[in-house]
Amino acid sequence: MGKRIAICAVAQIKNDAEYWHLRFQNMLLECFESIMDQTKVTFDMEKGIRTIITCSNDMFDARTISNNGVTDVVGAQFRGEEKMDQESINGLGYAMASILSGHDDVILFMGHCKESQGESRRMISNLSFDPFYTRPLGMDYHNVDAMQARAYMEKSKVTDEHLAKIVVRSRQNAQKNPYARENKLVSEQEVLNSPMYSDPLRELHMYPITDWAYGMLLCCEERVKEFTKKPVWITGYGSCMDRYFLGDKDLTSNFSLKNASKRAYEKAGIKDPKKDIQVFELSDHAAYQLPMWAEGVGIADEGQGGKWIDDGGMDKFNVNLSGGHLNGNPLLLGGAARAMECYYQLSGQAGDRQVKGAKRAVAQAATGGAGQHQAVIVMEA
Amino acid sequence: MAEYWGVKVEDIFNSMQERFRPEGAKDVDSLFGYDIKDEGKWKLTVKDNKMTIEKTDDLTGCIATMKADGETFVGVNTGNVDATNAFMGGRVIVDGDMGAFGKTGKLFRKFVIAQKEMTTKDYLADMFATIVPRFKANEAEEGLDVSFAYDLGGPDGGKWTVFIKDKKCTITTTIEGKPTVTLEFNDARDYVDFILGKIDAQSLMASGKAGAKGDLNMMATKWPILFEKYKDPMAGNVPQQELIVLKKIISLNEKFSTGPVMGKFLKGLKEQKIYANKCPQCGRMQLPPREVCADCRVRVDEFLEVGPKGEVRYMDIIYYAMPDPLTGQVRETPYGGINILFDGCKGNETLPHFIRKDQIEKIQMGWNEKKGTRVRPVWEENRIGDIWDIKYFEIDE
Repeated sequence: MGKRIAICAVAQIKNDAEYWHLRFQNMLLECFESIMDQTKVTFDMEKGIRTIITCSNDMFDARTISNNGVTDVVGAQFRGEEKMDQESINGLGYAMASILSGHDDVILFMGHCKESQGESRRMISNLSFDPFYTRPLGMDYHNVDAMQARAYMEKSKVTDEHLAKIVVRSRQNAQKNPYARENKLVSEQEVLNSPMYSDPLRELHMYPITDWAYGMLLCCEERVKEFTKKPVWITGYGSCMDRYFLGDKDLTSNFSLKNASKRAYEKAGIKDPKKDIQVFELSDHAAYQLPMWAEGVGIADEGQGGKWIDDGGMDKFNVNLSGGHLNGNPLLLGGAARAMECYYQLSGQAGDRQVKGAKRAVAQAATGGAGQHQAVIVMEA
Repeated sequence: MAEYWGVKVEDIFNSMQERFRPEGAKDVDSLFGYDIKDEGKWKLTVKDNKMTIEKTDDLTGCIATMKADGETFVGVNTGNVDATNAFMGGRVIVDGDMGAFGKTGKLFRKFVIAQKEMTTKDYLADMFATIVPRFKANEAEEGLDVSFAYDLGGPDGGKWTVFIKDKKCTITTTIEGKPTVTLEFNDARDYVDFILGKIDAQSLMASGKAGAKGDLNMMATKWPILFEKYKDPMAGNVPQQELIVLKKIISLNEKFSTGPVMGKFLKGLKEQKIYANKCPQCGRMQLPPREVCADCRVRVDEFLEVGPKGEVRYMDIIYYAMPDPLTGQVRETPYGGINILFDGCKGNETLPHFIRKDQIEKIQMGWNEKKGTRVRPVWEENRIGDIWDIKYFEIDE
């Protein structure tokens, strides 16, 4: 078992297609002020925030050392500031390390991404591939995900109809989430008719471009009462980096996710995720990933993703009641969004989508093409 | 057989097959002869993008035959003898069709001398043996009389003293008299690495692995002038693999929202106004305005018009311009960058821009105790709300 840290407060702005009237600094500032207001935390060098972790990405911000653009609006000037330029969920692991090492009691964790700023997210994800070989081939997260989708759907008997069902459900669930991106509701037929991007992935199978920012305050167990009456605990964190080159790996094996889950579950003392966990937030950048990651975190049986959907697995295990990544979060920040939904559920603040008596939740997030890097967090009320 | 620079004449011929470049042989269909004095004759056949080489006395049918002695031949092939000079000086002769023989230049990759290890001892021997030949007598000033001593420890170490007197350089393998400076290295290996540029003097000194007695400054300033740099004999011998470098342009179209704060500043420029915003807590002015005062961690909502005249606070003159980041065009140099302290601001509440080109030499920088030159903005006629709405600043006379 690992030691735990507390999430004391979270803040976010609504996920939106385009905050054309705001810089990302403006977006962050609202979250920053909300955290200060909720927790009354200070920047006192003894008792307050000494270290701020930010999450952002140079490519999406079109700015080298993107964190330097936001240090002032997250209170980081004259304090320690560290940047997570990978899936935001790993920032929680980073915060955990800072706190459990005893070097910091309180960590402010802020993230932003304005996907509407760049003309093409596909060009940005293309730049994550090596310039010599895979980049000239035009690999990006869409077409690489499609390669994985095709292989996975074949293996787990997931059909175009299943994917349509996932998209329809995601948008319905998002209606109950006041911070979710506002998308129009669609029918299964509309999904089935939506344009094919990279076969088998259609336009509506992909999460839409989204702008978002968030903040969280994390704290050690001893001092949690100073900042909140309703802490939510992070009790397990595990991450795993798969092979980088697509040609090297079995795209359907869920290797890195299984490893990440195993590590997180061990630390949190989870024996059977199906019984021990009441809420799951999975990182479905594309619809096919929902059943695939469900297999990876151990709530769907291996190779049975299609059947799991038919048997009502998504609702039975309370998967992505927030609408999930599929309804719209920035790619970089999906993990923070997943963790925040778990926070709302475990602290009883999930409104119309509240799962009664939720004690434990899992937030999962993937980075890279075809879910290369995976991280899982177990949270408890 | 004789060796030149460690290479035999035969080595050159024996490696031809391996070094052959079929792409260089596309329009070649000929026999070439090589007649190397005291070594023998070779015949090269090139046909259908293939080649053969044989040692033979029969050079009939060759379109051209190269004649040279062994040293010149090896020298030209290993880069130790300049080919053009050797040809002009008659050390290389080509009988037959010169033009055709010229094509053999494209047929082969460069000959590379097989890698041999050099030990610390080898290096030390080579480094000190080449000191006198590397001495540049004409750089030594009249009356210069110095001696540089080396005391190198470790199993391969030793002692040397280099004397420079009467524009002559001599070396001994002892330390004699009172050297101008004595360099001490605990381990001679570190000295070798230092001379080869693998480790710098500061880190060696800082870690106590090396030290100096005497006038180190004299050595540091004189040595690079008086001596040619030591050339690593192994440096040229790394097998040459063709290493490809790709040139690519990465271009991402972006739209940057300006938001209510930067947006207000830019809109102000359109109206020939310069806005700063003022921290409600500490009272400092920010230019351009920012959402918060980072010092006080509070939102800054109060905007004040400042300037547009002010004084030069900091300045620089740029001679090596980076391309304009937005257009890729290279600016004409020199141009002058200035930070302007606008009327209504104080201390370091300054905004950077450019000064009128013909006034670069006339402006004076100000600082805490001195006022800088007074300047005013020169506005663009068609203003769109960006930084170039101000063309530049000029002296306010």
